Amino acid sequence: MIIPITLPRPSSSSPSLPRALAKLGSSEVVLIELQGSLEVEGDRAGQAVGTLTFPEDNNAKPTLLIGHHLLEGKLVTLQKPLAVLRRAAPTINSASHNDEHEEKGEGRRYDMLAIVRRKIVFSKRPIPVVNAAAVKAGMEKEEEEERRRRKKVKVG
Amino acid sequence: MSEIEVIFSPSTEDSGTFKLLELPPDLLKLVEAAVEGNSSLALSVKGGLEEDAVLCTDEKTYTMRSVVLSNSVLVVTPPQTEEGQVDRIAIRDQLHDVIELVPSLPKLHKLKGILRGAEYDEGHEDEEMDDEDIPAESSPMRRKFTYADALQLQASEGELRRGLRDMRILNVGGRLRPISPSFLNTILELILNHLVSESVPHNAVPVDQLCLALEEHEIRRTVTLQVLAWFGVIRGPSWEMNVDEVLKQVALGILRPHKDEPVSEDEFLAQWKRAVSDTFEAQVSLTLLEGNYLSTTLPNRFPALPALLYFPSSSLPIDPAARFTDLFLTRSRWKAQDIAPYLADIAVDSKERDKLLLKYARAMTDAEGVWYITRNKI
Repeated sequence: MIIPITLPRPSSSSPSLPRALAKLGSSEVVLIELQGSLEVEGDRAGQAVGTLTFPEDNNAKPTLLIGHHLLEGKLVTLQKPLAVLRRAAPTINSASHNDEHEEKGEGRRYDMLAIVRRKIVFSKRPIPVVNAAAVKAGMEKEEEEERRRRKKVKVG
Repeated sequence: MSEIEVIFSPSTEDSGTFKLLELPPDLLKLVEAAVEGNSSLALSVKGGLEEDAVLCTDEKTYTMRSVVLSNSVLVVTPPQTEEGQVDRIAIRDQLHDVIELVPSLPKLHKLKGILRGAEYDEGHEDEEMDDEDIPAESSPMRRKFTYADALQLQASEGELRRGLRDMRILNVGGRLRPISPSFLNTILELILNHLVSESVPHNAVPVDQLCLALEEHEIRRTVTLQVLAWFGVIRGPSWEMNVDEVLKQVALGILRPHKDEPVSEDEFLAQWKRAVSDTFEAQVSLTLLEGNYLSTTLPNRFPALPALLYFPSSSLPIDPAARFTDLFLTRSRWKAQDIAPYLADIAVDSKERDKLLLKYARAMTDAEGVWYITRNKI
């Protein structure tokens, strides 16, 4: 079996990432690393997950607000760049012909979408929040001070 | 600060279709050059359903290994249903592993088994397959195996071509057929005789003339041309002989019958020199035969006379554990430089070779230096 991998071709027709994210290196893909994983109930297609705040300047940290959790992250350069591959949809043939070939894996192809050199990693423990905006303002203020004090945000 | 809304991809088919592939520096360079349009690159994953997958470029093969991550990685892109520069992003997939690439050797040893029965030998050149008489399922080894079939093996095309050359496999009548060693030696003999009788310099042999001469001995032109490509370089109308390769092949012909009964080293060297003309006598040397012979002495002789036994690395198992077992059964101890040629085709570089020695052998030092002995109790 031979599965070809096509190389990324800059496409003007595909949508591109917001400028702040595209600055990370690719206008097509960004990688976000989380401790643990996202658990979803019900049909997830198109569902809102949260809000990513991506700073313009290099000193501020990106944050990710999911529900009542605020995660603080940082930019990390990968030791070895990663190629993001996507399995291409099989070409349409007659239905029965397709099944047989699918099983043998014939006609399978992967497209390399982009080469990613940096990722956003959210590895700190999430801060539970009630009023996200107030907490964010407080966080920004802390980062302006030279020495960071550890502060736990208590609910209630 | 830009606030970007994050959603799950509207398409339910995205999950499970993404993969992350680590790019080692040499592969990264190839991909970048190809993307910039400076060169072309053929990249593909190869393997049967039962095999571990490998990734092949035009020249190299890498084993693919899945590395499990403790974190999860989200593959995030603009939602594909939108256009232009968007202000929200979609999670297309959630991954828990990355594929690592490790340079490895091409897997061509299968060819030996596949091509058994398809040998090209004097008198049997025309064994064509009569497809109507033989049902396809019966005797898979007698089915035609083509170059295109060989591309399915776990090797890059560059490595495949080199492998076919090193294993002396011809491409005739649309089939891959290994040439019989004795037939090959006959052809080389004819070539060497031609050089002498026509007084042609070995670094500029007129190809047409040579092919015609061999045709008189019923060697097909297509076969002659392939043999010339194995043993030198064809540039336009002329062929430059690779003297060392030819000498080596002639020597193997003389050595081959001595698998169990050694031949005296002096006698062997004399025979070898006689078989090649005086032009090449000076280049005859045992170093050309590394990985194909063992030094021993003639039995029942005193003082001991040095002798040689035919012991080709191509006859040893591919699996490292089995190979080391065979090697230590043949000789209980080996010096590093003697065992190295017998590991060259299973270790991709000297670092890998040292790792194998560490794993399967034990080093022992005495007055004569460092010896490798078996790790197992025999």
